Amino acid sequence: MDAFEYAKPSSLKEALGLLGSDWDDASVFAGGTDLISLLKDDVVDTKRLVNIKGIAGLNRVHESAEGVHIGAAVTVEELFSNRMIREQFPAIIDAAEGIRSPQLHNMSTVGGWLCQRPRCWYYRNGFGLLALDKDGQSLVTQGDNRYHAIFGNSGPAKFISPSSFGPVLIALGGEMRIEGPKGARDVAAADFFVIPQKQGEREHALAPNEIVTEITIPAASRGMRNALYEVRPKEGLDWPLTTAAVALRMRGDTVERARIVLGHVAPKPWPAEDAAKWLVGKTINEENAAKAGDAAVQGATPLSRNGYKVQLARVSVKRALLAAVGERRV
Amino acid sequence: MNKELTHLRVNGEEREIAITPNRLLLDALREDLGLTGSKRGCDDSSCGCCAVLIDGTPMLSCVALAASYEGREITTVEGLGGPGELDPVQEGYAEMGGAQCGYCTPGFMIATKALLDRNPDPTMDEIREALSGNLCRCTGYMQIYESVKYAIEKLRAKSATQAPATR
Amino acid sequence: MAKDTNGYNIIGKPMAMTDARAKVTGLGKYADDLSVPGMLIGKILHSPHAHARIRSIDTSQAEALAGVKVTATGEDARNPYGILPIGHDERAFALGKALYIGDNIAAVAATTPEVAERALDLIRVDYEQLPGWFDPEESMKASSNWINEERPQNIEKEYHHVFGDPEKGFGEADFIAEERYYAGEVNQAAMEPHATLAVWEPDNRLTVHSSTQVPFYLHRTIAAVCEMPMSQIRVIKPLIGGGFGGKSEIIPLEVAACVLAKKARKPVKITYTREEVFLAHRGRPITIVYLKVGLSRAGKITAVQARVIQDGGAYCGYGPVTVLYSGALLGAIYDIANVQYDGFRVLTNKPACGAMRGHGTVNVRFAFESILDQLSHQAGLDPLEVRRRNLLKAPCITANSLRVTSYGLPECIEKVFERSGWAEKKGNLPYGKGVGMACSHYVSGAANPIIRSNMPHTTVHIKIDRDAAVTVYTGASEIGQGSDTMQVQIAAEILGVSTDRIKLVAADTELTPIDLGSYSSRVTFMAGNACLNAAKDMRDQIVAAVARKFGCAADDFEVKDGRISHKSDAGKSLSFDEAVTVALEFHGALVARGTYAPPETARGGKFKGAGVGPSPAYSYSAQVAEVTVDPETGQVRVDKIVAAHDCGKALNPLTVEGQIEGSVYMGFGQALQEDMIWKDGRLMNPSLLEYRIPATKENPEIESIIVESIDPEGPFGAKEAGEGSLAATIPAIANAIFDAVGVRINSTPITPDKILDALREKQKLASGNGANAANKPVAAGGRL
Repeated sequence: MDAFEYAKPSSLKEALGLLGSDWDDASVFAGGTDLISLLKDDVVDTKRLVNIKGIAGLNRVHESAEGVHIGAAVTVEELFSNRMIREQFPAIIDAAEGIRSPQLHNMSTVGGWLCQRPRCWYYRNGFGLLALDKDGQSLVTQGDNRYHAIFGNSGPAKFISPSSFGPVLIALGGEMRIEGPKGARDVAAADFFVIPQKQGEREHALAPNEIVTEITIPAASRGMRNALYEVRPKEGLDWPLTTAAVALRMRGDTVERARIVLGHVAPKPWPAEDAAKWLVGKTINEENAAKAGDAAVQGATPLSRNGYKVQLARVSVKRALLAAVGERRV
Repeated sequence: MNKELTHLRVNGEEREIAITPNRLLLDALREDLGLTGSKRGCDDSSCGCCAVLIDGTPMLSCVALAASYEGREITTVEGLGGPGELDPVQEGYAEMGGAQCGYCTPGFMIATKALLDRNPDPTMDEIREALSGNLCRCTGYMQIYESVKYAIEKLRAKSATQAPATR
Repeated sequence: MAKDTNGYNIIGKPMAMTDARAKVTGLGKYADDLSVPGMLIGKILHSPHAHARIRSIDTSQAEALAGVKVTATGEDARNPYGILPIGHDERAFALGKALYIGDNIAAVAATTPEVAERALDLIRVDYEQLPGWFDPEESMKASSNWINEERPQNIEKEYHHVFGDPEKGFGEADFIAEERYYAGEVNQAAMEPHATLAVWEPDNRLTVHSSTQVPFYLHRTIAAVCEMPMSQIRVIKPLIGGGFGGKSEIIPLEVAACVLAKKARKPVKITYTREEVFLAHRGRPITIVYLKVGLSRAGKITAVQARVIQDGGAYCGYGPVTVLYSGALLGAIYDIANVQYDGFRVLTNKPACGAMRGHGTVNVRFAFESILDQLSHQAGLDPLEVRRRNLLKAPCITANSLRVTSYGLPECIEKVFERSGWAEKKGNLPYGKGVGMACSHYVSGAANPIIRSNMPHTTVHIKIDRDAAVTVYTGASEIGQGSDTMQVQIAAEILGVSTDRIKLVAADTELTPIDLGSYSSRVTFMAGNACLNAAKDMRDQIVAAVARKFGCAADDFEVKDGRISHKSDAGKSLSFDEAVTVALEFHGALVARGTYAPPETARGGKFKGAGVGPSPAYSYSAQVAEVTVDPETGQVRVDKIVAAHDCGKALNPLTVEGQIEGSVYMGFGQALQEDMIWKDGRLMNPSLLEYRIPATKENPEIESIIVESIDPEGPFGAKEAGEGSLAATIPAIANAIFDAVGVRINSTPITPDKILDALREKQKLASGNGANAANKPVAAGGRL
């Protein structure tokens, strides 16, 4: 691992002052589980680590009239064992449950969970996020793309967004508070994740000198039935092959409003708006859930080796919908 | 790069080491403190061989910076049990075949210890869950489960003799 | 646990491993835990190209870096080496050409790992890239640009065997199946990454501590590579964090550390990263099996024809042995008279494959047991019953000259039949659930050594002195399987003392006699027999002295419970301590020895390639897997595996069960999720996050059943337990998947995409024929 400075600021202001205008100047550090691995493999370089765990206020979960606020330095385990979250937002619990390692639960933070870098094996093996060869051609298209994107892959980015929490947040209408040198801004979760179009761009809306400080799930999402379903390559620690997060506003047995967001199918979480619209006015049963699954994968553009993911995404949607309206233990 | 004086509290003792900021906790334990019981297996947080307790909670020392654990109570495998005396968890892994090659064993024992400290009577699913961040390549896990059960029984017997009044 | 019925005190009883305390306290030392004053850290520069000529290497900038003590390249150690005498094609560092991504080009030794890393970046290598060979079936057609100019068509070795009359056999078959099977590549992935500490001693000797299963071969190889006499080199095996064959030949870092240490005249340690472990590889090769088997209506196998192509990677390694095992172990499990075998070991521009657990047999057994299941269904017979109808009548000599002395397969089959509920479950579970069975077997050591000689395969010395402690000196390599404990048990049993009295010194070439190593499941049988012989020698020496003291015959005495006692005169009895004094007075020194070499009758036939396959004894396994398949996602969950294993005699039932369960677990991993994914010679998943070894969450419940056939030549009747069970697991799971959803997946790992494809194909066929898609009623049980 190359040398870097280490700073542990006690205030946000101090932390922001330690970040730079370039990605290589400094990296925000909290749980470190992904970042340290990237640094060890020389996939990421940094001159300075800025540990934000000492900043007051970043590590609590609290409720207000606007909704539920989750500090970026809250650990996955803290979120997972939070009773209010368990009761109201089982989809978050489903996502946390997908991280099959108590050690990672204890170390990983919510901010890192959202900002973790893609698992694309070209990226992780040093070929860059977009994995282009010297002629600008995609290594992914020509190569082994069995785990790559089936949506949103017409540009150079073929990787998949790695976080299961991202789709959940979008389904729940969440937003991120981002602090930077010019102050704070709030960004809808749906706008936080972006598909990079050229080299040097990142897969989220942060600037190098900004920090995600808080996630808010709006009060309006309270009472929505929600769930996440993952199709996994193995039950132990791993990233899913596909996921679907759903949030449903129900009136009796009827869907009044729905959000369906696919995960691990595109370079960003992938809302299935047509499927969600189609569900309005329907009841959630096996047949309608399956139809919503069919609708959600309409327009998929699988690569040479990942056609099977279309079926997995379809099933993910169906099962997430059924889980959302099903009985569950808190 | 400059080394900095860093204070770590390991197995109940204050230790002072001069390390660079990029020193991994695992390397600080193994190289700077000579505590080679914690192992490096994967380099990427997948195997759990390097697990240590931080304030009683299992974490991975191979993706942790030593500098960020100043002031925390760190327990390694060397801190389990007493002088000449094994912790029931260690005894379980020794007696029931939970340790074959033994390389993953420190990490498994740390995860087991954390589990039993907070839940002395776990179900099979809870055991599987608590050990899900650790990989073993030898046992097929069956004798690891037997080892955990041995420790549970041993701890139960111990608490029964130590605190009869509470019964 | 198996009960002992032979009146043994220690043998047959579960015993914690002798090194368990060292392991659970964290005080035991593995190679990377060792350090010595002045130790340098070595790092290796690996080739970024799969096939490239090396025009030049410039290490001058690296050498100029402060903290760098020495660099090394191919010119520093030109002598070739390899585990097989016919395959000396590796060098410490590539000379002339780099043959795979990860090949060893140069190395540095520096004061810290950081400096060593920086120095690697400063080594300038001028490569001329060459087209690479990545697909074995393409590679073996190569007319030029061969990987090794001495191996035309990129074929490392090929063998062609015919036993009996296959053509006639197929003529007699009522059912013939022909299939192509493909087994993906798997790696041992032992939890301990390889590490070597080579210490240059002040007297110009070299002491090497290394994570090896084969200290003796390492000893020879270092001598050859470093051009030093073996007598000036000492190899010590510390604790080993798992082997599974991944440490059973010379691994590049071992020679690299020695070359650097010799050049620097300093201690040098090299420890692999996990990625380097995958690049050093030596796992199980991609194997393509074209298999044709004939079955009579009565369920008798009439003929077998197998064409096996193994993707060996860029170097020979154990290759010829692997491909010979694949053919030889078609025999010695079932009674098959007619066999044709064509085996090809092919070179490709990938890391060398090696001798992974179940060496050579696993992928062919997957194919064979799968096709047997398929044929059974074609014939309308229960696949388990078909196995019963093809049993050997042991003792016997098979068509390919393998001698079978003990044969617990029938009992294994009956045990899993009962314990799995086979009769109730087979064919009767709802759609999505199924059971499958398969059998396997393995050698208890190779009857013919790698380097042919008339010397014993293993030797054990025992010493007793005035403290009356028994010290056993053995070359056998404990790698976590329990070989130290096994020998302690044997010595204690024979000498009638408790295991506490036995001290074992193992695998240190300066102190211990030779054992060939921990591979091919040879240690219990061979080192166990040598230890048994040594202990008997020691016992006889003590008894002779005691008998003489009492003026009786030696036969009148028995050795038991720490005493040497006259069988009928209670007054003539000495404690072990007293007896040792008497014996030292009589003999002067108490030194005993035992050796083992397989008998001539076990060494096999005389045809080309007959040397591989013969073993003094074979273990047997039968397994039933119960699975749940999710037909919507193609995911498979293995609910339970019942595994019966004939290990001859379970010397230590605790460790035998551990070996069975570990083998099943590894088979499970290969069956469903482990896969080294290659693209143009690049390993796409060189980490344990992406190379999916099973975790607690998905690993199946395993019920292990010990079967004891008591081998006439094994120590106390024991045979191997550490490898034989693995091969049955993969086909048992594949066959259970067929039972669950009616599709056969002929390639491993069996991943969701393959199952979904097969289900879609099946549905297409069925709708084309107007028949029902599923052969079973659909139930809600399938979902995971």
